Amino acid sequence: MKRPLNVMMFSWEYPPRVIGGISPHVYFLSKSLAKNGVKVRVVTCDFPGAPEHEVVDGVEVYRIDSYKNPSPDFATWVYLMNLNMQKEAASIAAKLPEPIDVFHAHDWLVATSGIGLKHVFRKPLLVTMHSTEIGRRDGLHTTTERMIHETEAWLTYEGWKVVCCSDYMVSHVKWAFGLPADKLSMVPNGVNAHVYENLEKQDLREFRLKFALSQEKIVLYVGRLVYEKGIHILINAIPKVLSKADAKFVIVGSGYMQEQLSNIVKSMGLEHKVLFTGFEDEKNLEKLQKVADVSVVPSLFEPFGIVALEAMAAKSPVVVSDTGGLSEIVQHDITGVKVYSNNTDSLAWGITKVLTDDKYAKAIRENAYKVILEKYDWDKIAQQTRRMYESILGEYSKSFWA
Amino acid sequence: MRVVIFSWEYPPRIVGKLAQYVNLLAGELVKNRVETHVVTYNDTFTGAVEEPNRVKVVRVANPVHTHVNLITWDLTLNQEVERAAANIYYQAAGDVEVIDVFDWHFIPAAVTLKNALGIPFIYSVDSLEDHRAPSADEPFNMAIRGIEWLGFFEAKKITVKSEWMRNEVVRLYKVPREKIAVILPEANSWVKDVRKVYEATTGGLELA
Repeated sequence: MKRPLNVMMFSWEYPPRVIGGISPHVYFLSKSLAKNGVKVRVVTCDFPGAPEHEVVDGVEVYRIDSYKNPSPDFATWVYLMNLNMQKEAASIAAKLPEPIDVFHAHDWLVATSGIGLKHVFRKPLLVTMHSTEIGRRDGLHTTTERMIHETEAWLTYEGWKVVCCSDYMVSHVKWAFGLPADKLSMVPNGVNAHVYENLEKQDLREFRLKFALSQEKIVLYVGRLVYEKGIHILINAIPKVLSKADAKFVIVGSGYMQEQLSNIVKSMGLEHKVLFTGFEDEKNLEKLQKVADVSVVPSLFEPFGIVALEAMAAKSPVVVSDTGGLSEIVQHDITGVKVYSNNTDSLAWGITKVLTDDKYAKAIRENAYKVILEKYDWDKIAQQTRRMYESILGEYSKSFWA
Repeated sequence: MRVVIFSWEYPPRIVGKLAQYVNLLAGELVKNRVETHVVTYNDTFTGAVEEPNRVKVVRVANPVHTHVNLITWDLTLNQEVERAAANIYYQAAGDVEVIDVFDWHFIPAAVTLKNALGIPFIYSVDSLEDHRAPSADEPFNMAIRGIEWLGFFEAKKITVKSEWMRNEVVRLYKVPREKIAVILPEANSWVKDVRKVYEATTGGLELA
């Protein structure tokens, strides 16, 4: 193809709108694709203060009216938002001087936009499944959960290829929706190590004192305060860790378990050792990851585990539960500590090991950083993604749609 | 002339009066040399159907079986309506003059097809949410009214079956009166009147 590849990406979040891991993923992926010669247009939800249309690092970003009337419930809102997204994306795509070659949808939150435009423009759809409802909820228990699951199944059916960010997710998605193996591909998530490198020149001692006393080690948790993230396992492990090491537990994020968790901390009489910061902005978060003595990811279900990758890029030693994508990211005793999932004793052991053995902590964080640079570089990931687009278009060119 | 009609009910699946009306209209249009396609919903009970006339009917099923409300059911089904309409469009090498949408259910598909492919649409009003659910102000009703509003705004022309309904559309949605045509089903000129609206609407749209 003589002209650059034209891709339209759908994502319900894109900075400054950050809700979960999809936002940074789409930001870095689209930016790195642009650097690698792909013309990317991201269509996403609006955000107060963010422009309707802008060019970010070579990527055209369109923010659509995301349906701001009251909605019966979250899932209904998703489909109503998609009505707007699809309508506006249709008109953006139709007005382009050159046609879109590939539509790329991230998760069920933009399923109907991607599926509809695939058929209307007769272009292939690439689907990235970041997570699944059946995994998030550990089964399907309600009408809403079944509806979302069926929407996900439909989206993977309509996708030309389905991308997952870990081998674990590939097999999970294959099982959840009964997909043929050759429809699935693994392209890892990336991490931007440069932001942490820049922080190395800064004196962060003052910043650290806002969170912990100078003699306390910082144990950092970053993530939503929800069941699947296993934050309650960490809270229960605190007394065991404190019996061996002096530490402050800094819990970043919010979620439906917040009140319950702070009540547990209160009842243990450990309010002075645990700090719930709520949501922290990107800058503060990066600094926290930089000053943390150990970063803990105690998830029960984790499709990928970007938080662990970020901590490794920040040269913070990681303790993760041996589950999902985390099992693939971390090599036990080499690039981090793996502990049994859903096991307080094991988690406490892992954290204590890192806090009390400086030589060990130093070794794993240095090894981890090397792996980050080798394997999780966005440039390499963008090249992999670009090759996927090209192979899809090769197959498409032989179909009757072409 | 090639026309695609969107209706959420069509025989043998009859919910209200709309199914019979659309059935009658499609049959008469065919007799008047209009190539008429109907895209409608196929639920599990519809079964196999043999069309009695030369109307081309596509019945699409919803890929998502479990739903929390009518809106989620509707907004997933619309993608299948788009797929069916796009198939007609591409098989006819882009020669679809107009889409006639009955009531709000498939307005989202019509709007996407208009924006993407430049096919104009007519919004044919059988009933309005304000009459079906008077004084209901739940988010559910607001969403349906929002879709009706989108239809009035994006349609090239609106048809209603009575002068009273024309006044209601003007009153409730502030639609310019001249955008609305009254088509009286009992009039002798009924099909000719519908055809006249179709002809006035065709010619495609400028996308840019």
